[in-house]
Amino acid sequence: MKPAEIVRVVDVVKDFRSGAGLRRKRVLHGISFGVREGEIFGFVGPNGAGKTTTLKILMGLVRPTSGRAEILGHDVGETDFRRQVGFLPEGPYFYEYLTGREILAFYARLSGVPRARRAERVEALLAQVGLEAAADARLRTYSKGMLQRIGIAQALVHDPRVVFLDEPMSGLDPVGRKEIRDLILKLRGEGKTVFMNTHILQDVELACDRVAIIARGRIVHEGPIDAFEGGGERRSDLVLGAVPAAMATALEERFAAQLRAMGDRIEVRVREKDVDAVLRQALDAGVPVVSITPHRVSLESIFLSAIEAGERAS
Amino acid sequence: MSAATASDPRTAPPRAAGVLLGRLGAVAAIAGNTLREAIRSRLLYTLLGFGILLICAGVLLSSLSYVETDRILQDVGFGAMRLFGVAIALFVGVGLIHKEVERRTIYTILSKPLSRAEFLIGKFWGLALTVWMQLAIMALAFAVVSRASGAPLGTGHLAACLLLGVELLVVVAIATFFSAFTTPMLSALFAGGFWLVGNLTRDLREIGSGSELAAVRETTAWLYRILPDLASFNLTLEAAHGLPITAADVWLPLLYGVCYAAVVLVLAVAIFERRDFR
Repeated sequence: MKPAEIVRVVDVVKDFRSGAGLRRKRVLHGISFGVREGEIFGFVGPNGAGKTTTLKILMGLVRPTSGRAEILGHDVGETDFRRQVGFLPEGPYFYEYLTGREILAFYARLSGVPRARRAERVEALLAQVGLEAAADARLRTYSKGMLQRIGIAQALVHDPRVVFLDEPMSGLDPVGRKEIRDLILKLRGEGKTVFMNTHILQDVELACDRVAIIARGRIVHEGPIDAFEGGGERRSDLVLGAVPAAMATALEERFAAQLRAMGDRIEVRVREKDVDAVLRQALDAGVPVVSITPHRVSLESIFLSAIEAGERAS
Repeated sequence: MSAATASDPRTAPPRAAGVLLGRLGAVAAIAGNTLREAIRSRLLYTLLGFGILLICAGVLLSSLSYVETDRILQDVGFGAMRLFGVAIALFVGVGLIHKEVERRTIYTILSKPLSRAEFLIGKFWGLALTVWMQLAIMALAFAVVSRASGAPLGTGHLAACLLLGVELLVVVAIATFFSAFTTPMLSALFAGGFWLVGNLTRDLREIGSGSELAAVRETTAWLYRILPDLASFNLTLEAAHGLPITAADVWLPLLYGVCYAAVVLVLAVAIFERRDFR
């Protein structure tokens, strides 16, 4: 049985007014998707695709023009359910005159953490994100990576069920990225649901269970990460010697092969299941086989083709 | 399987009293942080410094006259408190929300279980506390200067300061209202304009009521109802001259000021609720 969807976005449209408020620009064109409990969900798309607007709608910072967005069965316009929701915005900024410990205590108070538990939660979070040593330093002295960590700590200070992260690894060095990725995986281990906005596909491949791709305000692909990595059709590139014109036509027609001239050689891209048949045909015709390179369909290629398809559709 | 259980404090239905306390705690946290941020402002100390300087300068100005020196001293003192109190409310207040949006601190705050109304009310009270603190410091300077100069001090002065505090509360509400939807520059212009016009609404009504045109009479009467009657908070003349002040002279403007500020805040919340934070 599939886990319940605890984040639901249904036919959400968002128009922003521009100029003197007379012109409208549609940034989301009726998007729909769902996030299941306990998974890490990657919301992927190029810059300007509508990722952050969608996240802001889910956080109640932007009102949808039409459609419905729900978290844990509550309309995102409500307030109380946010005791179960954590949020890290992109490039977070905090009151720089407060210390790490003070800012977490402030957010714990806003999140309704009882006074008796507040100090304990703050200390636990400081330890979890590795900022115990800098806990009493003012935030203005923090590096970007430290601010990102304090941002994650504030998102978790009230022990939420669902965590929304906007570009959590952007601007971090490889060590910082790994630490944040490990933390996200640990959250899943604790049964939390993580919604992650990102354009770094490597992070998606390493951390996410399911992915939705958004391009120009439209969802162009949604599915499990396994389907992207392994379920896609595998292809191979065969480099052959001079191919007679009749044979080239036959390859295109019979195997839907893509041919590309490379000087006196030719590159033939075919489905993996057709490789044997194409090889046999080439050898029978006396055409030399120079190389065979199998291709794994990567998330990146799916992403790029989905984006292209989305752009053609719009 | 759901990670939440029946004993999970996040999913257990909160008790009404607990919710109310939590809400008040969150508003107090926003107010406390606003106060903390405001008292770090150099502009605030500059204005406060000038205010105290002007109160002290009252001694010099009063010494230029042979008559009513105490009145001149206290007129200047009350004027300084009023002018710099309003300046602090405007200059600190107009950037109140804009700064939060510009720096994106509002994103994390509004993602917490805190309504926009609670956030705005927290900001309002933070600014009101800041302005009242500055007023208290200026009033103390006023009392010290008056006492040192031998000028009389009584309950009338206390009442005048109290109503000055109410006037500043109204100005803070107006500054909060404009900062909820426009830029600091426009907020300063609009809120400053409201304060200026608010000090003239009585005169406007008087002039309008003498007009032969019904439309003018009606318009000025409506403007008087809509715009704040800030002159009603001014007891400085009575205090400086030692004129009698009745209880109604204090509590009626106090009630009016609190109600006016509440209505302005309700309007501010209505606008703020509809705003997108892009």
